[in-house]
Amino acid sequence: MLKGHLDAIVLAALEGGPAHGYAIIEAIKNRSDGTFDLPEGTIYPALHRLEQAGLLSSAWTTPPSGRRRRVYALTKSGASRLADGRKAWTRFAKAVDSSIGGGRAWPA
Amino acid sequence: MAGVIARYVDVLKRELDFDPMLAQRMADEVEAHLREAAEADPAWPSPEAEQRAVERFGLARDLAAQFAADAVSRQARRSWIALAATVAVTFIAMRLRVLWLGDTGDSFSMLAPLIDRYAFVVATAVAGIGWFAFRLSVLPLAVCLLALAASIAAGIVRAGLFVEGAPLPVLLAAAAEVALIGLLLFHVVGLGRRLRRTALLRRPG
Repeated sequence: MLKGHLDAIVLAALEGGPAHGYAIIEAIKNRSDGTFDLPEGTIYPALHRLEQAGLLSSAWTTPPSGRRRRVYALTKSGASRLADGRKAWTRFAKAVDSSIGGGRAWPA
Repeated sequence: MAGVIARYVDVLKRELDFDPMLAQRMADEVEAHLREAAEADPAWPSPEAEQRAVERFGLARDLAAQFAADAVSRQARRSWIALAATVAVTFIAMRLRVLWLGDTGDSFSMLAPLIDRYAFVVATAVAGIGWFAFRLSVLPLAVCLLALAASIAAGIVRAGLFVEGAPLPVLLAAAAEVALIGLLLFHVVGLGRRLRRTALLRRPG
């Protein structure tokens, strides 16, 4: 189930600004309170796919600490895709919650 | 330090050998990731810290299988675009040859016009079915490739392009057909290679 939403989760993790793969996977873990504890490598095919689709851009940078990193950033299309994905997810989550979340009896 | 991380990166590079540019890029990127993860481990610097970073990262083979599956989708899209272009140009070339020769202009063979026409019909029918039902399969593309190659060869023989002085548009259209069938062959072979690689990577062990 998570796999189907991984692209949107990655886009959302980059909403706050550009980041490298390690920071993205850490952000995903933190934002989900450790629920999305994916194998860290899972993120790279998603990043590559999103970049190929023009939703992310990337570039090598060398921070003052010295280690070269590839940093990813949302493009305009990526931000727009994230907004669409968020709307679709809100609708879906609301529908699932209404269906199985309890609090309302099924019609007899 | 030729340790756990260096060995992992070597394995990953080998598993991604179906795309050398991607393999090099991922090797650099994954190595930076693993070193950062290992340095965040309380046991750093030690082989155990590297081992834990590699374990959290996942198997190189699984990662390569995901990249290979994405590569199949991209290659299939390119192949279908090449097929659509080949069908369109072949159709235009056929019409140009008919305009030039007239309906009875085939002096070289009785069979050539039939192959020219019906191989093209087979190619378009298989392309239609393949697009809707077997988009990630190499078989419909290969059938279309063979049928279009037969249609193009028959069309060229039919028009006697090598013998008579054909008008420039007819010759150009034939040249475009041949170039596109070459491009389609290149993409279909590439798709077959990527599908085989994906199947190998997904095989257990």
